[in-house]
Amino acid sequence: MQNTVRTPSNPPRFLRRFILVTGKGGVGKSTVTAALALASARRGEKTLVCELNAHEQVSQLLGHETVGSHVTELEPNLWSVNIRPEDAMQEYGVMKLRFVALYRLVFDNPLVSALVRFVPGLNDLLMLGKAFNHEREERDGQPIWDRIIIDAPATGHGLTFFQLPKIIRDAVPSGNMHRESDEMWRLLTDAERTAIHLVTLPEELPIQETKELHARLRDELELPVGTIFLNRMPVVSLSDQEQDQLRSMSTEPDSPELSTLWTAGKIRIAEHKRASGFRRQLDGLALPVVSLSRSYARHFGRGEIEALADEMERWTP
Amino acid sequence: MSQGRLKHSLSDARLVVIAGAGGVGKTTIAASAAVQAASSGRRVAVLTIDPARRLAQALGFESFDDQIRHVELGPEARGTLSALMLDVKGTGDAMVERFSSTPERAQAILDNRYYRYFSTSLAGSQEYMVIEQVRRLLDDDDYDLVILDTPPATNALEFFDAPERLIQGLSRVPLQTIADGQDQGSLTGRLASRGRGLILRGLNRLTGGPFLEELAEFLGLFSGILDALIESSYRVQSLLRDARTQFYLVTTPTTARLEEVMSFRAELRRRDFPMGGVILNRVHRPLPMVSVNDELDGLFGGMSADERQQWSPELVLGCVDILRQHNLLAERDEAINHRLNEMTGEPPTQVANFPRGVDDLSGLSLIGRSLVTEGTL
Repeated sequence: MQNTVRTPSNPPRFLRRFILVTGKGGVGKSTVTAALALASARRGEKTLVCELNAHEQVSQLLGHETVGSHVTELEPNLWSVNIRPEDAMQEYGVMKLRFVALYRLVFDNPLVSALVRFVPGLNDLLMLGKAFNHEREERDGQPIWDRIIIDAPATGHGLTFFQLPKIIRDAVPSGNMHRESDEMWRLLTDAERTAIHLVTLPEELPIQETKELHARLRDELELPVGTIFLNRMPVVSLSDQEQDQLRSMSTEPDSPELSTLWTAGKIRIAEHKRASGFRRQLDGLALPVVSLSRSYARHFGRGEIEALADEMERWTP
Repeated sequence: MSQGRLKHSLSDARLVVIAGAGGVGKTTIAASAAVQAASSGRRVAVLTIDPARRLAQALGFESFDDQIRHVELGPEARGTLSALMLDVKGTGDAMVERFSSTPERAQAILDNRYYRYFSTSLAGSQEYMVIEQVRRLLDDDDYDLVILDTPPATNALEFFDAPERLIQGLSRVPLQTIADGQDQGSLTGRLASRGRGLILRGLNRLTGGPFLEELAEFLGLFSGILDALIESSYRVQSLLRDARTQFYLVTTPTTARLEEVMSFRAELRRRDFPMGGVILNRVHRPLPMVSVNDELDGLFGGMSADERQQWSPELVLGCVDILRQHNLLAERDEAINHRLNEMTGEPPTQVANFPRGVDDLSGLSLIGRSLVTEGTL
């Protein structure tokens, strides 16, 4: 396979300008976010990773200290920030109300804080809004960031997070909030600028949920779903011929050593077969699927993230 | 490995709650535990929410509906097993209908445009109806054990807070203020009369006025079903704190999940919910090591002619590589098992990794037995 040279003007499909990485909890969303960020920064493109009110796994996975709520440079071309709702709220409130004192007066009011708590997802909207503001940031007329990658919340009960700008836009007839959410919605739905990547595992429930999530994102919300990252694919380090040979041996060998090797090989082939079956269920979605190998290293760290970034770079449709 | 605790819960508890993040195998564990308890003589109902399709088939379901179904376990089972798949869609409507004083009031809420916007994500309504359902099953004399498979959540216990959050959200004094405002004129007037014109102007600048007016109407309508909700909530809360309720956390051997276990324990304690234990799912068992450097010659020397034909050096080396990886996974899993033991002061209940997955009743009953018997897997 020949490696095509990718210039910044020709990024792979999964590197849009505004990227949201989502998936069910525990599938490796942060791992994929970290590897994507590394792949993007390695191309020499100024990349900002946004984690939303999280334990800041991305910076740690890449071997850096946690960064907190200030945009911080992790390494060349790679920056990170942990957006917390209270900071986002204050920033937005102060921006719109002009004065910190007025913000305090409004938001420290129990009626207002009860309203804010009651409106589901308002916190998420504010965090998404802050990430959205980074997308618009400019210096000397040029965008500051080439790419914003958001480790989006895990999909739990539904699509609330992605729907929020639309919900608020439709619910608030006019005014600032309407305008802001309308602009956010236009960015989210713009397939030229935005991609929503789905991370999943080659297991029954995650695959089923990914299919459902994709259908709803595409059909109900008409959002641009980008690429599926199929994480933790079992690796069989045997040629096809050797695999066939092992499959043909249906009884356990007598020798204890061979029996152990036979068992280990059979387990892995079974795992791989099962995983491939789940992978095939994604074929009908007409989306690119990037398989990422399961790591068998003793510790999962920077080296493993780099290997995943390599796999992403090598990927061709 | 400690299988005693869960064994005791399955024979003694009335409600076993299975919590955990998504994708750790909660539904499989809940179903296996249910099969095991039913086999040993209890009348069990297992409640599961949006489960994997093949698991549904393993339990004898062709499709989802909200009917409770009997699961055929075979002649050796001493108890009975029923399963209920809960469809959480539409639970907000069901809640409004159940707790409204009149159908007209219910309809007013259902017609409100904010209710329609928020009903799918209305914090707490789904959780609320699920726990309500558990309570009703336990009031029913047909079951002496209910096993609840909770929906995935980042925070394993968020599920049980949701109803309380919902009620708190609805019963805050300011809500009443708004509702009163509805009766005495506009919200604007109400706020202004309290000298809060400045605040209102600030809010208007943020949102645009009509939004707040209409939201207030919605909250006012909703406050009407509050009393009935609160009363039912007290009963649910006391059930969750009952001594015969046990909470188990399912997790997989991943370092990233260790923190989850500690926060689960802390949060159970904070809420006074009785802790059962931790179930460590998908544990790789170590295989005996085959050392290549020293024994590749020895290995081949000991082979029969047939075996030598079957086992090329490439196949042997490839399998040695896989074996080494397998044992690294097993080592990693054991280290996490050890950490869990240290952190919680109690060995977790271990469940072996099934490379081929579990998708029928015999698989469930195999796991079910291993949940209560040391060293079966």
